[in-house]
Amino acid sequence: MSQKKYWKGLGDLNDSAAHQQVAENEFKEELPLGLSDTLLGATTPRRDFLKFLGFSTLAATIVSSCEMPVRRAIPYAIKPEDIVPGVPNYYASTFADGGDYCAVIIKTRDGRPIKIEGNELSSITKGGTSARVQASVLNLYDKTRLRQPMADGQEATFDAIDRSIKDAISKTGAQSTYILTNTIISPTTKEIIGQFLAKYPGSKHVVYDAISYSGMLQANEACYGKRTLPTYHFDKAQTIVSLGADFLGTWLSPIEFSKGYSKGRKISAKNLNLSRHYQFESNHTTTGACADHRATCKPSEMGTIASALYNAVVNGTQPALSSAKLNELVTKAAADLKKGSGLVVCGSNDVSVQTVVNAINDKSGANGTTINWSVTSNNKQGIDADMVALSAAMNAGQVGALIMHGVNPVYDYYDAKKFAEGLAKVAVTVSTADRMDETAQKCKFVVPDHHYLESWGDAEPKPGYYSLMQPGIAPLFKTRAFQDSLLSWTGATTTYADFWKQYWMTKLGSQEKFDKALQDGVIEPAGDMLNGGGTFAGNVADAMAKIQAKKAGAGVELLVYQSVAIGQGGAWSNNPWLQEMPDPITRTTWDNYACVSPARAKQLDAELTGQNEIVAAKKVIRIKSNNYELLLPVMVVPGMHNDVVAIAMGYGRDAKVGRAAANTGKNAYPFLSYNGQTVDYTAEVTLDKTTEKPYELAIMQTHMSYEGRPIVHEYTLDEFSKNPQVLLDERKAEIGEFAAVPWQEEGKESAAEKKMDGQELEDGFRKNGTMYPVYDHPGIHWGMSIDLNACVGCGACVVGCMAENNVSVVGKEHVMKAHEMHWIRIDRYFSGTPEDPDSIQTIFQPMMCQHCDNAPCENVCPVDATNHSSEGLNQMAYNRCIGTKYCANNCPYKVRHFNWMDWNGADCFDDNLFEDGRRDDMNDDLTRMVLNPDVTVRSRGVMEKCSFCVQRLQDVKLSAKKLGRPMKDGEARTACQQACPTDAIVFGNVNDKESSIHKLRREEQSERTFYVLEQIHTLPNVNYLAKVRNTDVIVGANVKTDEMMNLHI
Amino acid sequence: MHLKYESFVREPLVDGDKSYRQISEDIISPIEKKPGRMWYVGFFFSLALLAFGVFSVTWEVYWGIGVWGINRTVGWGWDITNFVWWIGIGHAGTLISAILLLFRQSWRTGVNRAAEAMTIFAVMCAGQFPIFHMGRVWDGFFVLPYPNSRGPLWPNFNSALLWDVFAISTYFTVSLLFWYSGLIPDFALVRDRAKTKLRKLLYGIGSFGWTGTAKNWQRHEMLALVLAGLSTPLVLSVHTIVSFDFATSVIPGWHTTIFPPYFVAGAVFSGFAMVQTLLVITRKILHLEDYITIGHLEAMNKVIVLTGSIVGTAYLTELFMSWYSANQYEAGAFKWRIMGPYWWSYWAMMTCNVVSPQLFWFKKLRRNVVFTFIMSIVVNIGMWFERFVIIVTSLYRDYIPGSWSYYSPTWPEVGFYLGTFGLFFTCYFLFAKYFPVIAVAEIKFILKTSGENYKRKMDVIEEKPVEEFVLEQAEHH
Repeated sequence: MSQKKYWKGLGDLNDSAAHQQVAENEFKEELPLGLSDTLLGATTPRRDFLKFLGFSTLAATIVSSCEMPVRRAIPYAIKPEDIVPGVPNYYASTFADGGDYCAVIIKTRDGRPIKIEGNELSSITKGGTSARVQASVLNLYDKTRLRQPMADGQEATFDAIDRSIKDAISKTGAQSTYILTNTIISPTTKEIIGQFLAKYPGSKHVVYDAISYSGMLQANEACYGKRTLPTYHFDKAQTIVSLGADFLGTWLSPIEFSKGYSKGRKISAKNLNLSRHYQFESNHTTTGACADHRATCKPSEMGTIASALYNAVVNGTQPALSSAKLNELVTKAAADLKKGSGLVVCGSNDVSVQTVVNAINDKSGANGTTINWSVTSNNKQGIDADMVALSAAMNAGQVGALIMHGVNPVYDYYDAKKFAEGLAKVAVTVSTADRMDETAQKCKFVVPDHHYLESWGDAEPKPGYYSLMQPGIAPLFKTRAFQDSLLSWTGATTTYADFWKQYWMTKLGSQEKFDKALQDGVIEPAGDMLNGGGTFAGNVADAMAKIQAKKAGAGVELLVYQSVAIGQGGAWSNNPWLQEMPDPITRTTWDNYACVSPARAKQLDAELTGQNEIVAAKKVIRIKSNNYELLLPVMVVPGMHNDVVAIAMGYGRDAKVGRAAANTGKNAYPFLSYNGQTVDYTAEVTLDKTTEKPYELAIMQTHMSYEGRPIVHEYTLDEFSKNPQVLLDERKAEIGEFAAVPWQEEGKESAAEKKMDGQELEDGFRKNGTMYPVYDHPGIHWGMSIDLNACVGCGACVVGCMAENNVSVVGKEHVMKAHEMHWIRIDRYFSGTPEDPDSIQTIFQPMMCQHCDNAPCENVCPVDATNHSSEGLNQMAYNRCIGTKYCANNCPYKVRHFNWMDWNGADCFDDNLFEDGRRDDMNDDLTRMVLNPDVTVRSRGVMEKCSFCVQRLQDVKLSAKKLGRPMKDGEARTACQQACPTDAIVFGNVNDKESSIHKLRREEQSERTFYVLEQIHTLPNVNYLAKVRNTDVIVGANVKTDEMMNLHI
Repeated sequence: MHLKYESFVREPLVDGDKSYRQISEDIISPIEKKPGRMWYVGFFFSLALLAFGVFSVTWEVYWGIGVWGINRTVGWGWDITNFVWWIGIGHAGTLISAILLLFRQSWRTGVNRAAEAMTIFAVMCAGQFPIFHMGRVWDGFFVLPYPNSRGPLWPNFNSALLWDVFAISTYFTVSLLFWYSGLIPDFALVRDRAKTKLRKLLYGIGSFGWTGTAKNWQRHEMLALVLAGLSTPLVLSVHTIVSFDFATSVIPGWHTTIFPPYFVAGAVFSGFAMVQTLLVITRKILHLEDYITIGHLEAMNKVIVLTGSIVGTAYLTELFMSWYSANQYEAGAFKWRIMGPYWWSYWAMMTCNVVSPQLFWFKKLRRNVVFTFIMSIVVNIGMWFERFVIIVTSLYRDYIPGSWSYYSPTWPEVGFYLGTFGLFFTCYFLFAKYFPVIAVAEIKFILKTSGENYKRKMDVIEEKPVEEFVLEQAEHH
């Protein structure tokens, strides 16, 4: 064996003591800290630097992330029996705002109402809702609501107030006690008022509606002996003539009418029956936009037109009106009315005009078919003369006590000043307003009423048709039902809840029936609604003579109109959802303004051009009547009569009404006047240019024309019935050649020769219109269809979506910057000649995420934050989004909305909440109770968009799974679909051959189906149904008729 | 030995009676002297601009992008306009150093150092915009492909924005290496001349122990060639990829195949203009007229007129295609560019980029320093408008008229842009003070070929009969 020694180095060879020591401790590394006496004095060697760096960074991270904000959450110590956290409860109830009625379902989560849906069991509203009904849940959480009763502006107790009021009434005498309310359609409330009036003999109940239908009521009384309104069956009408009645937006009962109207507007190639709608109006309303024929007139001409129509129907007289278009349409309308199934409605508040309208309906045989006098409507009951008398009595010092409920005359009465002066002379004034509104501020006592979502109650919108109101939450504040207040002032010991239950138990007969009624929400007679006519006994000649006698001035006339969102004002003025809902026609938010025609605007130096549409600051003009004047910005609205200016009511509120209401617009009510019989909503005015600073308006859509682009399709009924394939042919011409591969045999045929139905065209285009592999979509594939014929632009879907999906309000400043967040918007396009208001045709197109199967947004996201689900949904992973906005740029539909600011406190930065500029209290702890816990509140800096209400889809799928069955068609419904009063939206699983969406696309409506921007191969999952107008010509997209397209405005 | 010979017809690249020593003196001495009053004024003004930029960005990050004017329709405004503009400016440096090196264009030696520095600063400025245009800038690292505990979840490799991340970071890295490797011999020169300890130490570190041996030079040359080879495709790829941000989209006005060459030409165009702007000032202030000669300026003006014409052709091609495609959305996009509310931006672009550079066909104007300076500014304005036109005027009126909108910037957006000027000029002032603004070694390399005083000596050779000259040359080998 060799004695050779192997060594690694000199140290090893020599084997010194030092080397041995090193070899023993090969990996020795001493802690540098130990060498030092003090920790701080320790030197940090270079190679430890990184360790220290790492450690301290980590430590700093951990320490800094320890401090988490404390969120208060109060668990149920004892769980209520019927509340499962995370599972919503639904209660049938009733929305009643004066005479505005809607049967609703309240969705509550963990004991708080978060969403209102329509109650489909109601035969009146049939599950439809309006923007205001959808937004009403937000009023419940309004920060400005009174939290306790007030006496002389101080907090007080109910007991003390009750004592004072009872004393006062007995002191001033029952003779001089008045109850002033808006229209009350609740039978129990009426009974309680009756008891009060009985207890204090001689006291009176006056009904006052800010939006008066007094003219109609009085005309009906004279003509039919009933001071009531009939029921209108728009669904049965073949010819609809509206004289200034915005029956789809604001007139009388729009939800009910929209439901009926849309029935006659849904047309298909197989069923070519389409009602014909004539609209005569002064301003441009949503109803006018939907009309087949539209002509404009001055408001004062409405009577003359009614007379002309009467003469044309009865005598066949040729009309001689102020414009050829009016003559033409009156003649046509008369001819159509004579065919039967006609319906004439009129928005005028003039007795004579309404009398003539009644006569036309009588002569054309509408009574008993489209107008129902057997089942009438209770929607409006106020008589203007009564209110005038009350105001006079107050000023004469004849009123000792005035109890006001649901009214705000100091704001919305035509002679508010006089009323306020009278109010000062009344010893005891009581308001039940929910906030310190203009009238409540002047009252001695304010006894706030509950919000309807906190109340028991009922409604009788039509005789025999009842609807129950039950609360979705216990009263949030120290408020008391108006009925309870009355009962207590009557001296009764029972509460309204007991009274109410007793009333209905007696009426219904048994507990079971009561429970059933409460569960259903409505109590209605079985079967179809009775329909009957009436015996007309009106004096037409007299009415026509009176109309003749009224001379129309030559100047400009003002029309004070209701906006679809805010309506008469009230609490709606302080509803941020409604303030931010763009007006369907002007697409403007947060303000009122002077609507004028383009021709009139030119005279006011506010000409409509493609250049000035981008400027938010609008010229301010002075509108001056005999007794009032306003400075308002000009809003140019094509389709307005050239001699008319229209201003929305409901704006210019007192600061105490709320932060959102204050500083928005100006009050137009003082323009109203009393003609000795009824209140006029018109006035003769002069318009003057001013040198005021231009006022900025927050307009969501600045461009008016669709530029002839095939993003909407309109046809006349004639075109469509002659060739139902007209749209399919257009689509084939556009994409047909890409639907087949050119080198295949069928590809060689020219596109026009191909016999392809819609499905083949779409499938071929999907497969062959791309270089990329095509994905199968087995299982569920969601799809939506929107009927442009049915959409009336009412905005219920917009607000419904905001409520369901926690869509942020951004405030006026940011709407002006085009930062709005609405997941669904309703684009409005005008076509025609701006100078000629009668030529204007207007179309609405709801636009939301199209959930493209080949989505341009998806492939551009650098971090995959937006991607496609296996069910065809284009989905957003908010947590992953870094906010490059590339997806929004690349979205051809521009439906993606970015969280520009911290709208709602979901952000990690402190104190940067954007609410002061927005001034709407949306982030108050109270207001935030409206948030839907199923939907993430988005933080600043992320993109968001329509999700097809994916939370609802998941819920439905899981419920079906739990029950061990497949999901049924119609179970999954989006919020917009459910809110829609015209059922314009159909939604479902397109892979299910039995689903209504599949049948609609492939069978019933295959001829009207189109996809927006189909040719860019985005493969949208939302389709539209082309608009078919029952008219002679479509002016849009035609270089000869569509001047707006040529002018690019 | 190899005769360093360049035809007499070519004008000298170094004017005056220069020796190697004189060159070192001319270029290095500003580093050793205290800067002049104007330097301080300029530097602190730049710093102030930078501070305002930092404030503007802080404001934006704190409150949200909503303080800017961009909106639901126009999702990119000044931010991405400025990004593309700066990136474009950053093109000249690499083009000069890499492509011209490969093409053996020796005139590049006078300008390449400053141009490369400009590139690096411009890319630094450009990088700020995509970072701070993000809604959640603190989550910006999501774009990096790193293993993570989220699945792992990778970025979307289909997104052009992600390609940008890679393209720009690669470009920046390579440009920086190229620039720095060229600086090494010059740093060594500063170190060797240094009379203060600190300068000796710092430039000593900076020059990485350069000793100037033959091996040093050989490796240096080799590295320069390799990096030039690497950067050449980058010159083309970076702006190509930036153009993909637009070209791969579906928006009319963006979705065009012409974008890559058009963007590259535009980038070179604006880059050269920016180099002109900087050099005209630098040569004046640092008295380097002998090194950055009128000939240099003219050479670059020629590139400007060439690329300007390419860009103009591209504009016209776009217009032609918008008509020829018979696509109404495409036609609409261009109509709104030309006649819509933003008409002024289109016509500003056309005037500045297409019409005015044509004046450079006149030799007199090409060789006029004042005119060159004015034109360089005009071209830079024009190229800014080009990006604005492409981005904003394509978006503001796209497919659906219902969502059309308008866009104007707010003060934080303008402040952000000014801030990047602050960053750029702060860096440039520091560079001008502490770095040799002209590549000393490379100038020395061409001195004996292209120096004025050496060229004069060529007279003798030029006059020789050809046969004799050939014979003489042959004997040497």
